[in-house]
Amino acid sequence: MDFDLNQEQSAVLEAVETLLDKHAGAARAVELAAESDYDAGLDDALEQAGYGDIASAMGRLEAVLIIEAVAKRGGVVSAGARLLAAPALSLDAPPGPVALMRTGHSGPVRYAAHARTLLMLDDECARCIELEPGACPAVPSNFGYPMGRVSDEIAAGGRALAPGSGPRLQDAWRLGLAAETVGCMEGALEQTAGYLKERKQFGRAIASFQAVQHRLAECAIQLEASRWLTREAAHGAGSSEAIATAAAFALDAAGHVFAETHQLSGAIGFTREHDLHVWSMRLHALRQELGGVAGHRRAVVDQRWGAGSSQGSGEGGR
Amino acid sequence: MEFDWTEDDARHREQLRDFLAEELPADWETISQHGPGGDAQAAFSRHFCGRMAERGWLTQHWPEEYGGQDASPWRHAVVGEEMWAIGEPRGAQYMNVNWIGPAIMTYGTEAQKAEHLPRISSGDVLWCQGFSEPEAGSDLAALRTQALRVEDDYVINGSKIWTSYCNHADFIILLVRTDPNSRRHRGISVLLVPMDTPGIEVREIPSVVGERYFHEVFFTDVRVPMSTRLGPENEGWEVVGHALQFERVGAARYARAAVTLDRLAEIAQERGLLDDPIVVDRLGEARALCEAARVLTYKVIDLRAKGSPPTADTQLARVLGTRADNAIGVLALEIVGPEALEYGSFADSNFRLAMTAGVAVGATEVQLNLIASRFLGLPRE
Ligand SMILES: Cc1cc2nc3c(=O)[nH]c(=O)nc-3n(C[C@H](O)[C@H](O)[C@H](O)COP(=O)(O)OP(=O)(O)OC[C@H]3O[C@@H](n4cnc5c(N)ncnc54)[C@H](O)[C@@H]3O)c2cc1C
Repeated sequence: MDFDLNQEQSAVLEAVETLLDKHAGAARAVELAAESDYDAGLDDALEQAGYGDIASAMGRLEAVLIIEAVAKRGGVVSAGARLLAAPALSLDAPPGPVALMRTGHSGPVRYAAHARTLLMLDDECARCIELEPGACPAVPSNFGYPMGRVSDEIAAGGRALAPGSGPRLQDAWRLGLAAETVGCMEGALEQTAGYLKERKQFGRAIASFQAVQHRLAECAIQLEASRWLTREAAHGAGSSEAIATAAAFALDAAGHVFAETHQLSGAIGFTREHDLHVWSMRLHALRQELGGVAGHRRAVVDQRWGAGSSQGSGEGGR
Repeated sequence: MEFDWTEDDARHREQLRDFLAEELPADWETISQHGPGGDAQAAFSRHFCGRMAERGWLTQHWPEEYGGQDASPWRHAVVGEEMWAIGEPRGAQYMNVNWIGPAIMTYGTEAQKAEHLPRISSGDVLWCQGFSEPEAGSDLAALRTQALRVEDDYVINGSKIWTSYCNHADFIILLVRTDPNSRRHRGISVLLVPMDTPGIEVREIPSVVGERYFHEVFFTDVRVPMSTRLGPENEGWEVVGHALQFERVGAARYARAAVTLDRLAEIAQERGLLDDPIVVDRLGEARALCEAARVLTYKVIDLRAKGSPPTADTQLARVLGTRADNAIGVLALEIVGPEALEYGSFADSNFRLAMTAGVAVGATEVQLNLIASRFLGLPRE
């Protein structure tokens, strides 16, 4: 066991950070959000640097590290889908965003308005649906990602992939969700802790009140545990159970971190000029996928104790 | 980054499981129902630790020069997990091998090492920890028990409280004030005191936790030679700080919680409760919590294995371990139902063990204070 980055991992992350310095950041996320736009520039840069193949070239863990980093910098790219989901299906997805959807889903889908590829999770088989530009209309959303609506007709199309592709897609999707959640929680928590060290009331920094400190400390515990569960699940042959466990913990933590960072930030935290929303609002979008916290927990129970009742569980998990 | 066990450590886990299957008597659940301090478990621990010692496993993580095998902290963690998961058959002796022995190695004189280390590593000596006092709980530095020099001896007066395991103990590792004019962290020393020294009186404090969990220990003109002092005089705070730096995660509570949870899932399945989405949700939540506590504990072990100085990661792991233990303790009551109300039943035993987790070995709020200052760098109040 070794919890430190190895040399290659450090090098990859350093290179990714350089790229993110140039292309990402809260200001960029705010600018894109105003137009409900996708960050084609960042997507291109990641692709050209070869990170689309990182899962097969290095491993899922390295993909997870990059997804975490991108989310922490507020990147508006479908990193989870590109770096984990598409490779898990050995798909040569055309450049550009990839959207993920589960059969029976109703409601906006992250990145669908911009995506050229939609991966559909059925039970045993996944489907790959190619999208013409403009095929899925954009949906306005306050939750930090560009969204689109997928018509029933489009959702029914595409080609089925080999049996077994369904569970593989589900694992990859879930792992990416957990990693992205970690990055967003970290962004939200750093933003909040930094702000509370500066902001004075009653003649002292708010962060010096113990009632506040304990709440931030609880958030830090949840964040760190989410991070390490996710990285561990990504490593080597990390099982479906480990992935579901990481997601169950992280997405639950996300609800907690959202509530606490907003509460502790006061009114400014709800404004567009204060960056908290860049990370916080996304947390609730991430909690909508794959049945949310209840869905991940059910997957944990099925995997560990073979309850054998989740396969058909619809979105909402129960 | 690497999250696999080595083959050797994985094999050792199997060996330990086989060993436990052989060594634990059929009535182990009854023996262990009162917790590590109970009479039956204390007695059994002497036998059991002797058997561990025969295999060379009791102190395998100790340096060779003290009879160990220099096994890694990871190996030691495997032992801790397997023992704690099954109810800690080493009883209170887990403290001896985890930190009391190592503290003696670091700070002890040759005579102290010769007296204590062989007994600890043969598994036939019980220790207790005399730190807390009525006026010194979380604020341990407020302790008042005095040991004043009289000729070549110390004369101890005062009292300790909450002391676990001490009615069976042969020795107490004691924090005392050796400089009567000192305040707070200065002027404190560590003494290794035989429990049969005249002037020591032990009184059990009955509790809802279990048999013999809590005691008061009174010291009235207890006279011990200066050679019982561990480490430099008046620097005892640093000695225990060093000795205990990793001990906050010394008990693998998450391992016990995870085993309990597996059994709860089995019970739930037998009763058809896995069709109940609320039960499923609670089980999934609890499992994630156990795993979260485990992985954060591993982060601490990783630091230890690399010889890095301890960080606030210890507190993160400790708080989450407490949460996991508490959550599963309560879940056991809920899933088992009214049968849990019988003393010594499966759910009751787990609940009693779990319910003190947030207070024993340093209360959660104090851990959160440390996380705020050391991990998040928040300003002091
Ligand atoms: C099962 C068990 C076994 C034990 N065994 C031993 C033993 O063998 N030897 C031994 O020496 N001791 C032992 N203890 C004692 C243990 O170390 C103390 O209980 C612990 O340090 C807390 O002290 P206290 O109980 O006096 O609580 P207090 O210090 O009175 O605290 C009460 C509450 O106030 C909170 N609080 C205190 N200070 C602060 C602060 N600054 N900020 C915010 N909140 C605060 C605490 O977190 C806690 O919630 C044991 C305790 C238990 C429960």
